[in-house]
Amino acid sequence: MTDSFSLPTRFGTSGFGGCYAPETLMQPLLDLEAAFRSALADAAFQAELKAELRHFVGRPTPLTAAPRLAEALGLKDLYLKREDLAHTGAHKINNALAQALLARRMGKTEIIAETGAGQHGVATAAACARLGLSCTVYMGVTDMARQAPNVARMRLFGTRVEPVEAGQGTLKEAVNEALRAWAGRCDQAHYILGSALGPHPFPTLVRTFQTVIGEEARAQMLEQAGALPEVVLACAGGGSNGLGLLVPFLGDPLRRLAVEAGGHGRGLGEHAARLDGGRTGVLHGTKTLLLQDVHGHTAETASISAGLDYPALGPELAALALDGRVEVRRASDDEALAGARLLCEREGILPALESSHALAVLPALAAEGVTTVLLGLSGRGDKDLSTYQSRLEI
Amino acid sequence: MNPLLPFLMAGDPSLEALPAQLSEARSLGIEALELGLPHSDPIADGPVLQAAAHRAIGRGATPVRVLEALAGITDSPDLILFTYLNPLLQIGADRLKALLAPTAVKALLVVDLPFGEEPAFEADLRAAGYPMVPLLAPTTTLDRARQLLSERPDPGPTAPFAQRFAYVVARLGVTGTGQGTDLAPVQERVAHLRDISSRPLAVGFGLSDAASLAAVRALGATPVIGSALVRELAAGKGLTTTLAPLK
Repeated sequence: MTDSFSLPTRFGTSGFGGCYAPETLMQPLLDLEAAFRSALADAAFQAELKAELRHFVGRPTPLTAAPRLAEALGLKDLYLKREDLAHTGAHKINNALAQALLARRMGKTEIIAETGAGQHGVATAAACARLGLSCTVYMGVTDMARQAPNVARMRLFGTRVEPVEAGQGTLKEAVNEALRAWAGRCDQAHYILGSALGPHPFPTLVRTFQTVIGEEARAQMLEQAGALPEVVLACAGGGSNGLGLLVPFLGDPLRRLAVEAGGHGRGLGEHAARLDGGRTGVLHGTKTLLLQDVHGHTAETASISAGLDYPALGPELAALALDGRVEVRRASDDEALAGARLLCEREGILPALESSHALAVLPALAAEGVTTVLLGLSGRGDKDLSTYQSRLEI
Repeated sequence: MNPLLPFLMAGDPSLEALPAQLSEARSLGIEALELGLPHSDPIADGPVLQAAAHRAIGRGATPVRVLEALAGITDSPDLILFTYLNPLLQIGADRLKALLAPTAVKALLVVDLPFGEEPAFEADLRAAGYPMVPLLAPTTTLDRARQLLSERPDPGPTAPFAQRFAYVVARLGVTGTGQGTDLAPVQERVAHLRDISSRPLAVGFGLSDAASLAAVRALGATPVIGSALVRELAAGKGLTTTLAPLK
């Protein structure tokens, strides 16, 4: 039994992060940090994780040059880091698989998870099927409707999908319910949080398991392009994909950009852009930039993308943004759709709606004179086909 | 020993009803009462208190309005404000102290504020007379309990129950009645806690009937009645009708 955290629990000059958890979850969180540190120091765990990432997930994922899209946008070079080609179709599997291995190492037999777009749920379901762990995923009813293929995939993998009807029926409510479920089962279950949010040690744990994206991409850029790009760019919901790609580039002289969901308007409730719309607050165990009303109640959000509508930016990404180390921009629903269409037409790749938000800022970057960009293509768009069909009238 | 610690959700059924509810509780001899500040994301609450919070928010029970509604009410038990951290952070320590000054609030129970996370905020409020109630969960080790009870110390026997007691969470999970909470483990924990502390203990989560309340009293601890009470009140039963047989 550990009685205090060893790793830093706070990020940047803002001091975001922390562990604002109910007392019932404190010892499980302390134990989780201890298990995480011990696993990181264990060569056998690292070797097993590496082997699973290679043979089950399909890592390293490719770095694909996108010359026809670059030409259309007026960029010289554009490279796509292809997390859409990872098993289960998004970057989420990197963290889900690593945490499932960690859970098994801790002797846990049950997994609880939340999911928004369903990509983390599918990844967790796949990892649990592979490792023989029982799995329950909490998912908002709105998200279940708009990401129906992912619900079916989770069920095929033997996972129980629990519908969450409260509130807007999206990721925030799913996290509420997963935290409640974990409080009831924390003696036997591990909670696999899917993004770089929640109480310590989750933000650090998730970021650590996702930086494989940026580490690979950095080496691939040097090998394939012979140089680093001017801009590294990723979409950001909670921040697992954003941090995963951007953190390994923090020491490099280049611009790092994260793109939030601009939704369909600038008013509170019409978007999920936390940097200029949010204020410091505490939600789901962490202090960060939060979309909230004057009473400190969490605000509603809107985005065409189920994976980007979380009302809080992960604490580490928010801290990096406030410290000027990551630039944060927003892309609207319509801009994301246009970005997706262009990638489809010019490169034959169907991006997830989340990743399309990163694509959406490319025209602005080109207009600013940027010539080379590395873009994190966080996931594939098959799950979003019905949205693309109706919104792009195809 | 204080025989009963009831919980009410402020603003359910309405803020206008609050003074009469508190007066009625006092006339029943209730010494202290937990008053829930409705929150949008009550992650430690089960369905009954979630629904009560959302009803109250829907009827305009914002944190500041709740505190303003409490101003000047003296015909009330001592109040323990049961809340989540974010609404308090948004109000800010100085304004919060000013809002609390004319109320019967004697202590704060902030579900998602472990000791040490907001030390300045917590110390400021304690100095102003609003200590944080220590929570002891089934997962809290005895070492951690010792640390927790010293970080949130007993102000001593002259202080009211509301400022002295530690809250023992009876079982894993969230607030709510559940199905027949097994009190044997909590009995053991209460015994261990008695070895390290002489302060009053309240036991809550999952208590719903006279038998479970009596079992807690037999341990020398104060039973908390929350979800079961809120559910009865929502069904239209009166406070006196519900509480009298449980006292």
